[in-house]
Amino acid sequence: MPYAVKFEDVSKQFRKGGAQYEHFGTRVLSAPRRSLKRLRGQQEPSNGKLALDRVSFEVPEGEAFALVGPNGAGKSTALRLVSRISQPTGGILRVKGRVGALIEVGSGMHFELTGRENIWLYGSIIGLSRADIRSRFDAIIEFSELGDAIDTQVKYYSTGMQLRLGFSVASYLQPDIFVVDEALAVGDVNFQAKCVDRMAGLVKEGTTLIFVSHQLAAMEALCTSGVMIDQGRVAIEGSAKEVLTHYIATMESRRDIVDLANNDGRVRIVSATCHAADGSESNVFTAEEPMEIRLRFESDEPIQEPHVVIGITDGRPGGLIEISMLDDASAPATVGREFEVRCLIESLPLRPRIYEIWCDVIGQDGYGTLMRWMEVAGFRIDASIGEGKKAIVNAATAGAVLVNYQWDVRT
Amino acid sequence: MRHSDYEPVESVFDGKNPPKLRVAFRELVVYREVVWSFAVRGISVRYKQSALGVGWAVLQPLAFLAVFILFFGRVVKVSGGGASYAAFAISALVPWQFISSGISFGANALVNDADILRKVYFPREAPIFGAVLSIIPDLGIGLLLVLLATPFTGAHLTWTLIFIPLLCLILLIIPLAASLPLGAMNVYYRDFRYLLPFALQLGLFASPVAYPVTRISPGLRPWYALINPAVGPLEGFRRVLAVGTTPDWGLLGISSASALVALLIGYKWFKSLEREFADVV
Repeated sequence: MPYAVKFEDVSKQFRKGGAQYEHFGTRVLSAPRRSLKRLRGQQEPSNGKLALDRVSFEVPEGEAFALVGPNGAGKSTALRLVSRISQPTGGILRVKGRVGALIEVGSGMHFELTGRENIWLYGSIIGLSRADIRSRFDAIIEFSELGDAIDTQVKYYSTGMQLRLGFSVASYLQPDIFVVDEALAVGDVNFQAKCVDRMAGLVKEGTTLIFVSHQLAAMEALCTSGVMIDQGRVAIEGSAKEVLTHYIATMESRRDIVDLANNDGRVRIVSATCHAADGSESNVFTAEEPMEIRLRFESDEPIQEPHVVIGITDGRPGGLIEISMLDDASAPATVGREFEVRCLIESLPLRPRIYEIWCDVIGQDGYGTLMRWMEVAGFRIDASIGEGKKAIVNAATAGAVLVNYQWDVRT
Repeated sequence: MRHSDYEPVESVFDGKNPPKLRVAFRELVVYREVVWSFAVRGISVRYKQSALGVGWAVLQPLAFLAVFILFFGRVVKVSGGGASYAAFAISALVPWQFISSGISFGANALVNDADILRKVYFPREAPIFGAVLSIIPDLGIGLLLVLLATPFTGAHLTWTLIFIPLLCLILLIIPLAASLPLGAMNVYYRDFRYLLPFALQLGLFASPVAYPVTRISPGLRPWYALINPAVGPLEGFRRVLAVGTTPDWGLLGISSASALVALLIGYKWFKSLEREFADVV
């Protein structure tokens, strides 16, 4: 299999102190002391952060490749190396062809300019010629769904609008290698689905996709192979399924994947875990097995009748399952500053896939949000995948609910 | 859809050898539209943000001119050397203003665009060159102002006006050459930003803007033009726009050569540092 990107023992050590300025005056004043040290043969210490430590892996050409790992593992550093933004300090990195990168929303946009002007600017910065931009201009605007807002200054855009503009431009670059980092997290679900479709389309046309996201379901649906990086080293390399399974298994707490800190409502979630029948914490279940979701909350004062709502989805638009105290009137009359809610689901008739658990808390009157709708945890349904011709693809992308069935073909 | 015979080029990064000057320059040519975009953006943002808009390009040299006429023309009584002091001052003030704004925009370009630098790759000199190029319209407006003001300043204009494009071209090298090393320093040292305006003020007095180059003794003039490459073109502009004679080709030649050598050395140094910029800025 030819490769599109090849890491050969690549290391990246950042300068001591990281992205911090030194004062020129200090530098000049310390110059005599430093040159004296150098004369004595003493090396200046370069104990900066080692973000990647002799990392080797290959990204196969024309495939979607998943890059996973906990926060701070070195994923973004690897992507920055691939997209030439920064250079390795050791080892050799081989990159075949033009790289288009979408690293973070709003990068490359200038807020004083309109959306239209930004298409020209951003397009040319990431490597489109003016003729390319002209010929794709209408398609870019159409894909971005910005409509008349295209002539408004970007400083009046929402993050979602900036993302739509950025993704539209980047995806029309038609690079050989398309690098997408986290960007999808802020878009609305419909646009996320559209992006996933567009990326799948690019892969079909022969583009190599390197995808970093916290949305594991989208990664599993798109990617065929991948690598997991942990503490700057390769933890596992293989098929996307193996890598994602390993990733979830090694994460003791889902908090590494889901950011629970980002909530500031009257009720705040402290932890969200899944437990097997014997009460032990687990993230992998079979379809027949019961699963208990335990949610621990805190608030600044006792709360009257908090309605907890749990949603389960495979990451695509529209929830699969919703369990709500607003349906069954089971909200507790009152809770203290800390409370735990347990929900036992007797069986999960779902396909083997990664699922997300979302949660919000609604007020006493069944109206008014105490905690916003947010992803709190995840789990994986583990089962054997059939032998059919599209079993693997369907397991990842087709309808998620599993039923007991019997074929009967008559001729 | 790609052609079946398309073969992507493989790039190898080992973080060791900095690119050769020729390779770097070829890459810059490939990325010329990025430079262009930064320049266009610079122009439109500057005119959008300031309430005065284009008026800014006119007001700045006029304000300086007023101070110069008052102080050097009346109080210190510097001679215009064959032209009125107003014509003498404004003909060098406008090109000096270009050098000064070019350097201050160019040297700050990387820090101002740190956000893009950290997230997109392009040759790192692109925003610097773009920022310098974005000052060209101001130079055009300023020169037009000088020409339009001729009836009031009493400048003597002749056929030598045809040398203006050549002088502009040489003038352009100076902020480009200065911005590369200054821009790189700016990335590494936070306090460089504050040193810069001060250095530019000194530069104004180290260049023949307020005083004629004839104040320097003839033997020292070539050295003056060598050390300060602004001398040749400034004196050239003054002769063409105020006195109506040809530029001093000797001084102009020395200054151009000195500016070009500075540009090449600065560019080479910049390219050897540039790969760290995104990690540091």
